Amino acid sequence: MTKVELLSPAGDLERLKITLLYGADAVYIGGQSYSLRANATNFSLEEIKEGCTFAHNLNKKVYLTLNIVFHNEDMQDVESYIDKVVACGIDAFIVSDPFIISYIKNKHKNVEVHLSTQNSTSNYKAVEYFKNEGVDRVVLAREVGKTGMQEIIEKTGMDIEVFIHGAMCTCYSGRCALSNYVTNRDANRGGCAQVCRFAFKTTEEKDFTMATKDLNMAEYIKDLIEIGVKSLKVEGRMRSLYYLATVIGTYREIIDRYYTNTLTEDIMQKLEYRLSRVANREVSTQFFLKEADYTDQYYSGRQELSNQDYLGLITGYDEENNCIILVERNYFKPGDKTEIFTPSGEVYDYVIDKIYDENMQELELARHPEQVLKLKFPHKLEKYSMIRLIVKEN
Amino acid sequence: MKILVEGNAQNKKLLSATDGLILSLQDYSVQSSKTYTLSEIKEIVKNNPSLEIFVNLNKNFFNPEIENLKETLLELEKLNLKGIFFYDLAVLELKKELNLKTDLVWNQTYMVNNYKTCDYYYGKGVKYAAISKEITLEEIKEIITKSKITSIVETFSIPSVAFSKRSLLTNYYKDLNKEPEKELIITEKATSTDYLVEEDDLGTNFYLNSITNASTIIKELYKVNCPYIVLREYGIAEELFIDILSDTKKYIEGNCQDEKYTEKYKSLGEFTNFFFKKTIYKVKKND
Repeated sequence: MTKVELLSPAGDLERLKITLLYGADAVYIGGQSYSLRANATNFSLEEIKEGCTFAHNLNKKVYLTLNIVFHNEDMQDVESYIDKVVACGIDAFIVSDPFIISYIKNKHKNVEVHLSTQNSTSNYKAVEYFKNEGVDRVVLAREVGKTGMQEIIEKTGMDIEVFIHGAMCTCYSGRCALSNYVTNRDANRGGCAQVCRFAFKTTEEKDFTMATKDLNMAEYIKDLIEIGVKSLKVEGRMRSLYYLATVIGTYREIIDRYYTNTLTEDIMQKLEYRLSRVANREVSTQFFLKEADYTDQYYSGRQELSNQDYLGLITGYDEENNCIILVERNYFKPGDKTEIFTPSGEVYDYVIDKIYDENMQELELARHPEQVLKLKFPHKLEKYSMIRLIVKEN
Repeated sequence: MKILVEGNAQNKKLLSATDGLILSLQDYSVQSSKTYTLSEIKEIVKNNPSLEIFVNLNKNFFNPEIENLKETLLELEKLNLKGIFFYDLAVLELKKELNLKTDLVWNQTYMVNNYKTCDYYYGKGVKYAAISKEITLEEIKEIITKSKITSIVETFSIPSVAFSKRSLLTNYYKDLNKEPEKELIITEKATSTDYLVEEDDLGTNFYLNSITNASTIIKELYKVNCPYIVLREYGIAEELFIDILSDTKKYIEGNCQDEKYTEKYKSLGEFTNFFFKKTIYKVKKND
């Protein structure tokens, strides 16, 4: 049986490597042009090549987003850019413009084209159109529910990708120019200022807001697999390493446990709690089971929460002193109960004892993000392991 | 250069001053405040044989709507329409499948931004494109001159800014514990700019609450042989709209030579949408 694909965002090369090591089957990245996250770090051609080599060595894939709405001037060099990216070893392009689709399909027959959600494809007849154009996969509009997805898969046989986690647009993707009008930043060329998260004055006693809660489909991964969805996509090319490691690692476990029939209610509860610790907004399943309604959005200006669970990224091991070496992210102190987790899924309970700086001078506590620290640990850990505070569920 | 109007098709003054109409079909079109039933459209077509009639079907369709869409397209085929505006590619697929003769207008609101993609659609049998109003006049002119597609350019209107499937006003008023209104003016705080929010059964529309003053670009469009311009009545007082329409018609008939026209419409304000303003998308650190 072919497993469903877990598709992760990656804003830079380090994120690409980490998300693949934490269990993504494929990553989607942006190049330095033509991607809808113009302000992410994004990948140079050399980095795309390195990322593809890294992924292919793990038998995994890299997709490049080319999903801006093209203006005349953007068309000047896009064809040669596509040719160069193909030479880097890219596996697929995520595209919304049908002219670009036809160029890729005519020139590079071995490279896949995935239709971006920017096209807001919401019915089987539109999917048929793109199937006839040679598109290999369609990322459906986020407004399509479970029965809609199922019917599209049954009627078209198209490979379907859906979002399972992360931020949502309030409007149809591609059908919103709020950012253009309010901030002059072009939403459909990668400059979206997320105006749907602003609060607007009205003559009523309370501001008008329309910001949505985030999507979290953890509970419905089983349903998505069983209706035949081919790829499960996580949103967030600008998210942190810790966020990606946690979210991708958690969905990896949910998917693997589904296939081995080991996803018990207790384990699911634990995994959902883990996801909740990196969430910075409330979550819902949006349009999956019903029309999105009153319960799926916010009614106040402030929506984002932050947590300080992430204590550090483990970067190496000091054999002489038997210490893991880490780069601090958040404050911690002796006595804190933590867990260390690795890309391959091991988790070690660990109580902070003595904290050392990189010269093995003992510190009272860790309070300088980005400082290199050492902690006693009996053995070496995989690169990109991380340490987080254990916060017990209430 | 012909004028198409999206507005009140019962208004005789309007009908006498326009070359054609865009009629939004009820339940099939969004970002259009005035919609018509199929039988009303049939009546309007019958009563106005000299006008070029386009019908707007620009919503995103979902699976349960496809069979009705098919039947509707077959009904519209009988009307000898000049064209059908579409957003959803299901319409283009059905045109192929049903071998429909009625021409289509590629109308993906904010996406109709370059001549190569216009030519792609032309190659697929789409005759017209409703050019995005979020690009500059220079970009619009380049599309008109370089693409084989027949361009349609929106001019005077209050611009539609966004569309959501969500019932955002219902939700807002529920939170306020009040009966929902179908329209609301919201004000962006930093710029004090007003937006009109309007909800119907298909979702929530956002409009900028300012009239685009297109008087200075009509001549530019005329000079590059722009085939069609659109004037949208929604949000503009009826009397003012009829004045703009009649004066623009005369101005075009006079080969855009009468400078009194642009002088007169200075009073409409300085908002010229994106005709002379490029959007940005790579943001500097302090933007």
